[in-house]
Amino acid sequence: MNTTLMTEKTVKTFKETESSQAAPSVKEACIFLSEYAAWLLGCGATCIRIEKNVRRMVHAWGMTVEIIILPGHIHLVVWDGLHEHSYSNIERIRHTGISFNINTRLSKLSWAVADGKADFDEARATMESIVKMPPTNPKLVLLLASLANASFCRLFGGDFVSMGIVFLATLAGFRLKQAMLEDGADVRFTFFCCAFFSSVIGAAGYVFGLGGTPELALGTSVLYLIPGIPYINSVSDLLDGHYISSFSRLMNAAVLTACLSAGLCGGLLLMNIQWF
Amino acid sequence: MTYLIEIIQDGFFAAIAAIGFSSISNPPRNAYGWCAGIAAVGHITRYILTHNPYGNAHIIFASLVAAFAIGLLAVWLAPRAKCPAETFSFPALLPMIPGMYAYRTVEALVLCLGSHTEADFNHYFYLFSSNGLTCTFIVAGMVMGVTVPIFLFKKISFHATR
Repeated sequence: MNTTLMTEKTVKTFKETESSQAAPSVKEACIFLSEYAAWLLGCGATCIRIEKNVRRMVHAWGMTVEIIILPGHIHLVVWDGLHEHSYSNIERIRHTGISFNINTRLSKLSWAVADGKADFDEARATMESIVKMPPTNPKLVLLLASLANASFCRLFGGDFVSMGIVFLATLAGFRLKQAMLEDGADVRFTFFCCAFFSSVIGAAGYVFGLGGTPELALGTSVLYLIPGIPYINSVSDLLDGHYISSFSRLMNAAVLTACLSAGLCGGLLLMNIQWF
Repeated sequence: MTYLIEIIQDGFFAAIAAIGFSSISNPPRNAYGWCAGIAAVGHITRYILTHNPYGNAHIIFASLVAAFAIGLLAVWLAPRAKCPAETFSFPALLPMIPGMYAYRTVEALVLCLGSHTEADFNHYFYLFSSNGLTCTFIVAGMVMGVTVPIFLFKKISFHATR
């Protein structure tokens, strides 16, 4: 079988399930939980969190669950309390981009269900409202990411002129990234273009003889593109034994890193930088 | 006094970097402050380990220890903020990414491929492998260090949002 196979050990009796007024049918629970897990997977939650959150809610409804987490899909089988009737559903991953806000709120929702603070209908309505929440203001993200990359330059020992160059290179590159992704461009091509664009601007220190640390300005100008969270998620999945998910996340991150490296190389070659 | 200013400066810029990088990951609003504080502590830990009068630690070991500190702090603070520990610890780790090692690896690779003599090729290949290995092991130490506390203290980590 594939990545994850989880079997519930605690099985409530069928009578207990029947007596629970708020408990959904097996079919309703399966469809809801597979959508819930697909949203969590899409927003960048680790596999162990997806498993624990789903298991928590299933316990509360007196059912059992088996879950398979694949790179692009969630496969869920929900059984009733007596393990006589089941419903299975495969749900495609919801691509939301990394969102710790959705991750946090969906995790809170699972506890609300587990603690009996939200019945099934409330849980479904809450999930729908959570996934519709707008992301952080793009202009604010643009400003903060540019400041972050400039600070990053300082951490490597860059002077204030280099920080300014990195700020401008990030501002331009990140805006290009936002615009290209809004237009539906391929994410790998987007990373290549942004790295190329930022590295050409980041080479200003070399070209115009600005500042005392032009190498740091150039090297830092593309670092806002490094997919750090997928790399960390990959290791988390590895430690929990979800090898396919781990490998998938590692490969996705590695491909993006290769694209940004290619963009950086293109920028360096275009500007004919003399190294070392 | 200069040493103290350098430490404060290191923590300050790490905090700004953490806020900016975390904003890309759409965190809850109350997470920004925690991210900044944890990133500052983590980066200062690494700075002190690699710059001190009692013997400078290797950057790979220092990164591992600093990441472990970030992971522990995040797990400890997660129940107070009612957020998963990953919400703070992963973005707080990003300012420690060995960006210049990664850059020098790419730079050396380009020069290695473009070299015309064996001596040049060997020199640039040495730079490529040296920087690449250091970068890889720093990243491996960082991600292991930050993830292990979540698994060590599962009960706290996964009850934080209750």
